[in-house]
Amino acid sequence: MDIRNILAEAAAICGPSGHEMDIAAYFAEKFRPFTDEVKVDAMHNVIAHKKGTGPKVMLAAHLDEIALLVTKIEDDGSLRLGMVGGVDPRILPGSRVWVHGKEKLFGTIGALPPHLMSAEDRQNNYQLKNLHVDLGMTAERVKEQVKIGDLVTLDDRATELLNHQFACKTMDDRACVTLLLCAAEYLQKLHCDADVYFVATSQEEVGSRGAETAAFAIDPDLAIALDVDHATIPGSRPDSTVPGDKLAVSVGPYIQPKLCDRLLDCAKEHNAALTVTVAGRSTATDADEIGLTRGGVPTVLLSLPLKYMHTSVETIDLRVLKEGGRLLAHFVSELDAGWEEDLWI
Amino acid sequence: MDLRTLTEINAPAGHEQALRRALLEEVRSMGLIPYLDRMGNVVCVKEGTGPAPRKRVMISAHMDEVGLIVVSATEDGFLRVTPVGGVDPRVVISKRVLVGDDNLPGVIGATAIHLQSAADRRHVLGYNEIYVDIGAKDKAEAEGKAPKGTYISFDTKYVEYGDGFACAKAFDDRVGVHTILEVLKEDYPVDVIAVFSSEEEVGCRGAKGAAFSTEPDMGIVLEGTTCNDLGDVPDPLQVCKAGQGVAVSFMDGASIANRELFKKALALGQEQNIPCQVKSSVSGGNDGGVIQRAREGVPVVVLSVPCRYIHSPSTVIKLSDAKSQLDLTKALLRAI
Repeated sequence: MDIRNILAEAAAICGPSGHEMDIAAYFAEKFRPFTDEVKVDAMHNVIAHKKGTGPKVMLAAHLDEIALLVTKIEDDGSLRLGMVGGVDPRILPGSRVWVHGKEKLFGTIGALPPHLMSAEDRQNNYQLKNLHVDLGMTAERVKEQVKIGDLVTLDDRATELLNHQFACKTMDDRACVTLLLCAAEYLQKLHCDADVYFVATSQEEVGSRGAETAAFAIDPDLAIALDVDHATIPGSRPDSTVPGDKLAVSVGPYIQPKLCDRLLDCAKEHNAALTVTVAGRSTATDADEIGLTRGGVPTVLLSLPLKYMHTSVETIDLRVLKEGGRLLAHFVSELDAGWEEDLWI
Repeated sequence: MDLRTLTEINAPAGHEQALRRALLEEVRSMGLIPYLDRMGNVVCVKEGTGPAPRKRVMISAHMDEVGLIVVSATEDGFLRVTPVGGVDPRVVISKRVLVGDDNLPGVIGATAIHLQSAADRRHVLGYNEIYVDIGAKDKAEAEGKAPKGTYISFDTKYVEYGDGFACAKAFDDRVGVHTILEVLKEDYPVDVIAVFSSEEEVGCRGAKGAAFSTEPDMGIVLEGTTCNDLGDVPDPLQVCKAGQGVAVSFMDGASIANRELFKKALALGQEQNIPCQVKSSVSGGNDGGVIQRAREGVPVVVLSVPCRYIHSPSTVIKLSDAKSQLDLTKALLRAI
């Protein structure tokens, strides 16, 4: 599987929360060769089913991305912006964007230049209300093409750095959807009794709404949520990040402890580097919603480390992504009828 | 050579080698003889067709662009940088860069929004807190790939968009460089001293040497200048407007236009229907300042293409303004 190509192609597809139609269609096709049945549901979740007679396991990573939207068209033709999910305004000045109007339009984000600012204002970051999108068109032409509420997505060019570091937008969380693809492919080589659902979920960035309905529909016995976690960078505060070169599994009240142990044992068995990170309560991922589905679903959270989350240069290590696919495949293939014994004692 | 090619060449101030080589080759291919002077300027004198003695007119555009330079590497392999020329640290976050002559890809990230305190969100990251990530695994690898003093440029592709606009890095001053290359394709009654100057962004160092050595009778400086015609900017502070033609300065922070040249430029614009506008703010400075003060003094005028978001990774021009700069320069060279 050409992971780089999938990551770059996926990043170039517009799929903010609630608008995952195109990215869902893209990943649905990618899952098809490795699963028995693939569908996209009413919430734009991609549900790819690999049938089995063993425990029903749901593996979930989210499709949607943070984005901006048009809130106003100024008389000079520039656009004002609002947010879909948590966008850091610090990343926007001088950035390129796509405005999804009648057509996909190139735009660049401008701001008042420093020499026209007071000394005090220069000491503050730009706020979203002071930034504008420049489409290079008159207001009249802009109004033909763009309406209030149209989506604006970040620059989508991918860059590969040294040591298999891959930087692009939407590695959160399409890198983990790609990790699921790697797992599905790897699973072809293994014996597997489990009834496996690979799910690419929608609307995670606004509260894991897709995961909630998908988990209800699937009614899994157990689940693994996959998401990115902050990798350590210069200036990181202690215990706020994970190492960038290995997978991480969360421990804490929202995580089923025995399943977590099982994942750690599996990693040890197969020589996959796996570190432990602590979530004191909510994990702020799909794991939270899936875990509380119907009567409850024992759930664990496996994380891919990522630098610069919610920017257009989200950076992951491709080797860790592949390793995640391998670990997940082994974990699923080794699920047997006795998986639930002593789960809570 | 077109604007796409010119803007995608990396030439931060003090490290203009790549553009210098490209320009030498380009000017030679036009059948002209360029030379390099002591400051690394690329100079080409094209004799006029008029009767001797002819006026010697220097047209200058600077080769260099703003960028970054490596000052050290952290233990974990990130590059510490400082700006070369004026780059607001607020425009570099979440951008791609190219490091060194091998164009090693890098990115500039920052702490994710999830991990920022309210104070962090307001705080402007300074260059002591900004670093370039090339993916190096440790200090030794980072120093091997990008030793101290390695230059860094924005990794920005040239894009034409909207109604005749283009977005790229380094329009300041590749628009001027492009205009000179086009000017050199034709003949003029005066001697044209074409100077592609070095190190404008760090104090107009190249043009100072060139203006002394070439002893021009007058100077026309071809620039890209700040333009803030969108968003929240009150009219008088917009400086000039994209799409309304080449901006003629009566005065900026470094030079005062020779009144005759200034009036002549505007009159020619009107006569020949070349869109032009008067730059409405006394701001910035450029090679005009040092050319004006060369030897016993040189009359200068500055003709600028309005550039939105100047000195950022994505500057914007209206292409028709670059055409106006070229047309007005040619008209001036014929009318002097």
